[in-house]
Amino acid sequence: MAEKFALELENIDLYYGYVRALSSINLTVRPGETVALLGDNGAGKSTLLKVMSGAHRQSSGTLKVHGEVKEFHAPKDSAAAGIEMVYQDLALVDAQDTATNMLLGKEILRKGPLGWAGFLDRKAMREEARNQIAHLGVKIDNLGRPVEMLSGGQRQGVALARSSVRVTEHESGILLLDEPTAALGYEQKMMVEQMIERMAKQGIAVVLVTHDLPLAFKCADRMVVLNRSRKVADIATKDTNNDEIVGWITGARADQAGIK
Amino acid sequence: MRKPDTLSVLVFIRSWGIFILLALLWAIFSLWAAPNFFDFDNFTQIFQAASLTAVFAAAIAMGVFSGALDLSVPGIASLSAVIMAWLMTHGVNMWVGIIAAMVTGVALGLINGVISLRGINPLAVTIGMLSITSGVAALITTGPAIYGLEALTPIGLDYYFGVPVTFWIAAGVFIIGTVFLTQTRGGAHFMAAGGNPEALRRAGVNANLFKLLGFILSGLLSAVGGVVYSAYTQQADPTPVTGTLFTGLTAVALSGISLAGGRGSLPKVFVGALVIQSIQNVLILKDIQPYVADAVTGVLLIGALGLELAINKGVSKQVVRSRTAANSTATGVLNLVSDKKKG
Repeated sequence: MAEKFALELENIDLYYGYVRALSSINLTVRPGETVALLGDNGAGKSTLLKVMSGAHRQSSGTLKVHGEVKEFHAPKDSAAAGIEMVYQDLALVDAQDTATNMLLGKEILRKGPLGWAGFLDRKAMREEARNQIAHLGVKIDNLGRPVEMLSGGQRQGVALARSSVRVTEHESGILLLDEPTAALGYEQKMMVEQMIERMAKQGIAVVLVTHDLPLAFKCADRMVVLNRSRKVADIATKDTNNDEIVGWITGARADQAGIK
Repeated sequence: MRKPDTLSVLVFIRSWGIFILLALLWAIFSLWAAPNFFDFDNFTQIFQAASLTAVFAAAIAMGVFSGALDLSVPGIASLSAVIMAWLMTHGVNMWVGIIAAMVTGVALGLINGVISLRGINPLAVTIGMLSITSGVAALITTGPAIYGLEALTPIGLDYYFGVPVTFWIAAGVFIIGTVFLTQTRGGAHFMAAGGNPEALRRAGVNANLFKLLGFILSGLLSAVGGVVYSAYTQQADPTPVTGTLFTGLTAVALSGISLAGGRGSLPKVFVGALVIQSIQNVLILKDIQPYVADAVTGVLLIGALGLELAINKGVSKQVVRSRTAANSTATGVLNLVSDKKKG
């Protein structure tokens, strides 16, 4: 019997002209599982992430969400299927406050005629944002401040919380994270780690693209390593170690036995 | 009570600086130009002049909020007013003329927007539009201004409840605009389109639609300004009053808007207009040459943008500092405390 996967990629190829950016990639993510997607610059991990988010389309191969074959033509198609991507640039509107950013495109309107006219229920929005953020353990005292005045970790927190809320609207969503700790200090990295762990506990399938190996070892249940557009390793975190992973990333180590 | 820190002070200046500036100016001018400045009739004049400036400033602000500096404001204003005046002097009802002016403003704004969104720099597009509109306006009047617009007195020179009609019109524009921008979903998307259109797009909202709306509102308010200005001067001049562009832009800059889009508040733009007109007023009262006023407006424009830059740099420096400081709860910046640290 086939196992129930949140996300399943089968034989994904992607060509840019004659350049093969992805070569027969197979990848599965279970609900509540965190998979770290590792590799050197140019190995294809960002490209693969973009295929999952609908920003790029594979040249061949199939992509299944909860067992159903999906065709993504634009990011909004993947969003409809319950996939959210947190970009490295976070996509925050700097001059607006946390609540407005959290609920961008999904604002809460007032009840009655004012609501029909498009009037916002700011109080309900702040309340909602507060709940969502508290759920993930981010602490922001003043939700009315523009997000440009938040620290890097808090900004990451707002972006992560926004996406995690959007994916949990689906039965079990899929969250794609692109270098979530790239610009953060130690303490804030810890916070992001905890957020990822919490999201996984809620049943969200997380794909984590990162250069930060300690983060991957801390959060991920499984490691997938790409090298020159091929998958060279796919292994449970507990069955491997830092040296092996570095070996696969740099290509110093032979492909994992039986990899396909 | 904790001691106010640098960040709070900077944020306070950024939020309230324009109000403090106006209060200070009024206090100084009241002493310097006593007793003429602090006088009911004089304040009525200041508010009247500021109202005209403010409507043009609102037109510019709408463009800036949604991410484009619209330089065609005076051109759209004069062409709309000339079309209205031409219709009125050719036997058409005044209100039909006014509506025609509004439609002209919306249509020209739409053209600005559609061309700009194709990827041509809005500065170039709107400068072109400024040139086109002034040319077309001059063709319509065959050169000189159109006189004989006495019918417009009720929306230009009359007083209602002791207050000039221009102020009521500006107040209407600013109240409706402020409610739209701060209280509605459309307003939130409008500001987001200026601040980070990519974020809006990823949230599933058509950002270009709101950018287009910015040009349209800018055109519409330019037309409102043109009509009211004509009603006030009782003539429609085909030559664009580019001075309104500079005072309007200065009012926007004074309100603390970086001209970078996505931020700003209309009430502060009105206060900015009051600052400019208070200065111009006191210079007249003190019998100082009017050219000085132009120079002062320029100094205000550059000064306001410079101060805005300095404050923003200060704020981000403080935010970074509080981020790196281990125990920075006292800074007032939202501090993220990981559970680990507490444990």
